[in-house]
Amino acid sequence: MIRYRSRQSLISFFLLILFSVFSVITLFPIFALIMSSFRPGTDLMRFGITMESLLNRDKNLDNYRELFFGERSLFNLWFRNSMIILMLQTSVTVFLTSLVGYGLAVYTFKGRNVLIGLVLILMMVPIQILILPLYKMMITMKLMNTILGVMLPFMLSPIAIFFFRQFCLGLPLELMDAARIDGLSESGIYFRIMSHLMLPAYGAMAILEGLRSWNNYLWPLIVLRTTKKFTIPIGLNTLLTPYGNNYNVLISGAVIATIPIIILFLMFQRYFISGLSSGSVKG
Amino acid sequence: MKTVRTILAILILMMVPFAISAGGQTDSAGGDTPITFWTFNELHQQFYEMAAEEWNKDNPTRKIELQAETFPYNDMHNKLLVALQSGVGAPAIVDIEISKFPNFLKGQIQLEPMNEYVNPVVDQLVKSRLDIYAKDGNYYGLPFHVGAAVMYYNVEIMDAAGVNIDDIKTWDDYVQAGLKVKAATGKMMTSIETTDQWTFWPMISQRDSDFFNPDGSVALDNKANIATLEFLHNMIYKQKIAATTPGGNHHSEEYYGAMNAGDFASVLMPMWYMGRFTDYMSDLKGKIAIRPLPSWTVGGKRSAGMGGTGTVVTKQAEYPEIAKEFLAYAKLSEKGNIQLWSFLGFDPPRWSVWDDPALKATNKFTEYFVNDDIFGLLLEVKDEINPVTITEQIPQASELVKGDIMFQALGDQSKTPAQALKDAADKLRK
Amino acid sequence: MKIHSKTKRHLVPYMFVAPFLISLIFFYLYPLISTVIMSFQHIVPGEVEFIGFENYAKLNDEHFFIAIKNSFVYTTLTIAVLIPIPVIFAATLNGKKFIGSTIFRSVFFIPSLVSVVVAGTIVRLIFASPDGALINSLISYFNITPQKWLMAGKFHAMFLLVILATWRWTGINIIYFLSGLQTIPDELYEAASIDGANTVQKFLVITLPLLKPIVIFVTTISILGGFSMFEESYILWQGTSPSNIGLTMVGYVYRKGFQSGDLGMGSAVGLVLLVIILVLSIIQLLFWGFFKRSES
Repeated sequence: MIRYRSRQSLISFFLLILFSVFSVITLFPIFALIMSSFRPGTDLMRFGITMESLLNRDKNLDNYRELFFGERSLFNLWFRNSMIILMLQTSVTVFLTSLVGYGLAVYTFKGRNVLIGLVLILMMVPIQILILPLYKMMITMKLMNTILGVMLPFMLSPIAIFFFRQFCLGLPLELMDAARIDGLSESGIYFRIMSHLMLPAYGAMAILEGLRSWNNYLWPLIVLRTTKKFTIPIGLNTLLTPYGNNYNVLISGAVIATIPIIILFLMFQRYFISGLSSGSVKG
Repeated sequence: MKTVRTILAILILMMVPFAISAGGQTDSAGGDTPITFWTFNELHQQFYEMAAEEWNKDNPTRKIELQAETFPYNDMHNKLLVALQSGVGAPAIVDIEISKFPNFLKGQIQLEPMNEYVNPVVDQLVKSRLDIYAKDGNYYGLPFHVGAAVMYYNVEIMDAAGVNIDDIKTWDDYVQAGLKVKAATGKMMTSIETTDQWTFWPMISQRDSDFFNPDGSVALDNKANIATLEFLHNMIYKQKIAATTPGGNHHSEEYYGAMNAGDFASVLMPMWYMGRFTDYMSDLKGKIAIRPLPSWTVGGKRSAGMGGTGTVVTKQAEYPEIAKEFLAYAKLSEKGNIQLWSFLGFDPPRWSVWDDPALKATNKFTEYFVNDDIFGLLLEVKDEINPVTITEQIPQASELVKGDIMFQALGDQSKTPAQALKDAADKLRK
Repeated sequence: MKIHSKTKRHLVPYMFVAPFLISLIFFYLYPLISTVIMSFQHIVPGEVEFIGFENYAKLNDEHFFIAIKNSFVYTTLTIAVLIPIPVIFAATLNGKKFIGSTIFRSVFFIPSLVSVVVAGTIVRLIFASPDGALINSLISYFNITPQKWLMAGKFHAMFLLVILATWRWTGINIIYFLSGLQTIPDELYEAASIDGANTVQKFLVITLPLLKPIVIFVTTISILGGFSMFEESYILWQGTSPSNIGLTMVGYVYRKGFQSGDLGMGSAVGLVLLVIILVLSIIQLLFWGFFKRSES
């Protein structure tokens, strides 16, 4: 028995080491980017991330100064645009998709299965193929180069609807009947009872949808036209052009684009993982 | 609910500094005519901003406010194409690069003809450069430069190898010099682009060939082109005096770094590349000499007119008249053409200024390069420049050269030079 | 139970799904139909003309086949990597005695928070071509010649794309699989232990079969993700990759539709892509017996 226990703990120890190594490998690229952001950007573009750029002690905050206070730098504007889109899109998407998912899960009504089927099919439509007509539509609706134009077409993500539906299948439906007897309206049931039970699902989707909007690239690239309206990912890619020497700002901008979302995740990660686990994908 | 509130509170807190910083933005001066401008090259933007300042000095009653944006090369052309196609969203003035230009001459042309400004001075301009951006007798785009291709030599390396660059007359001489350089210094004579066309195109143009024949038929796989590509292939893999360009082309940061560090003894690029030297390769100041290209035969052509960007006024311009007048002011006037040289280092398309004393004056280019009289070089080779044939298929041809041919023949060597050219030519003929 | 205003009660569910119906019609059905129509048109500024199946006929093009091949290889490889590895990781992390399991799952998740642009930039910088760049100097330790990663050819290109995908998506798949593992009752494992099964046997006999629903889900989103991959390659090669080593199907849609301004052709390619994804997803679901199961 003792031998068995010590063998177990040996395996545990071994796994711990192994996973620590994997963790280091996983985090290393981000660490390398951060360390390199204190070095001149042109050197990085020329020679790549090198041991020298990681270990050199001659590090300074010039890139960050240029990023935030540089005369031609638009980063503050890009950050603000990304933030506005992140907040509006995430809250609206999470709210609306939770309604739909909830509706599809707790009520039986005509056409429900058709709708569920549609959600499943829509999950598989690559949005890129809808871009050409959507583009024309944004023009007729005069939404080109607007934040609304960036957000509107993809407000209702089928994956989020599917997720909420799966989550709501697990809600205690007895509560609903009890509430009805107490005279609560259907919307009252959702807002005053069920929404509290759906908090983990909101948390999980807030992070996933927030991530989607924060990192969204192709559609905003097409809708947005003036550099002042750009979001961070598009702005950063603009800096990759061979015709301008903005590499200092590119690298520090990449770090700043990543850090806030990592902090947000770390703050809510337990919440997020439990939400995703309890709700997600039961088939 | 508490957690949701916490999330919101944090997000709002993160917003505050940016909301404040954004408050300070104001739209400038009321009376000036706003003119939007897009380009893919920051230096072009600076050129037009400077021209706008000059314009405002010369026309105090009709001031303009230039709202300029620089986008990545591909993104800008794509956005413009879709904007013109759908009828909204295009700027008033925009730079269109030569190999994309024919895309904008399809269907009902969405660009303003510039004839009223071009016609009075047309006999003072290098006409082949205007024709690139014209269709059915209408001139749409105004060129930046003649684009004479030249050879930039790193004299420090050439001296170390004991090569006198003025003795390099033909491409055979060039290869011999390359062998000497390699033997003496271990360095490569030159770099050859695998994802762009600026090594290949000038070399075939020099021997009177092109992507297309003058009648518009495909010439990509003709004998001269195959021989040229094989010549490049040999320089890399047989004589081993050339390497594929780091980063794939001469505009990549990796290449600037390698060239700046003295890894290559020379590079073939048009004259408009001078600005890249001054801006991105500062260590080479005082070490680079510009010479005509080696010719294929003794007495053969020593240059080629390469690349170019036509600036156009779109049909969506809010104030087309003033936009056209400003564009003509910036690019057709003698003053503008002198600026093209002294600010951008471009060989200006209006030859009536070529003997202007301003072109002999000291500027950042004369200070950087070894040559005493850079401009004299252009005058010397100006009659040895073939026109390039621009057809509706140029965008595709150029894409095939950049994307397929060069890399397949010289990069991963998945095809022989002849095969790579033939496959691409067949695609164009289909 | 049925108290009053029965008709009103009947409308309630539709109120909940109304936003979906509206957005479905506006932002999915309408664009899908116009894509179908455009795929039969030749569109240049100011002129639209119906040309029948000409756009589809033009798909007989070397580049189109390269795009299909690249997308297919990429999807296959990402599925081959991003299912087994996360399953094994998740199963290990799920072990009761595993210390620091929560920390590890967060750590593995972090890369998926990094945007494509930033992740692509990191890959460009780490796999840069100079000898001194990180990966090149690392492999020279093992006497491998430094590589021009991005410019070396199709194998290197695919390798970089798969590495990028693995780095970004391993963590999120681990979480999906963990969620599935947590529904497996402990008693099953205990019973197996009593029967003398070892860890590997337990994994094969209990864990894998019960994970099937999650495997189906992850495979489905991987097919979609794999075939609609575009941005990664767009960032790595700034638009055009040499000899099309990074060209994907969506990249081809982008090239035809936006780069050459041929909206009709772009639409035709997009629809072919949609059909491929649907067919593969359905084949996959049939293979797993998904439809049979959901009927019961």
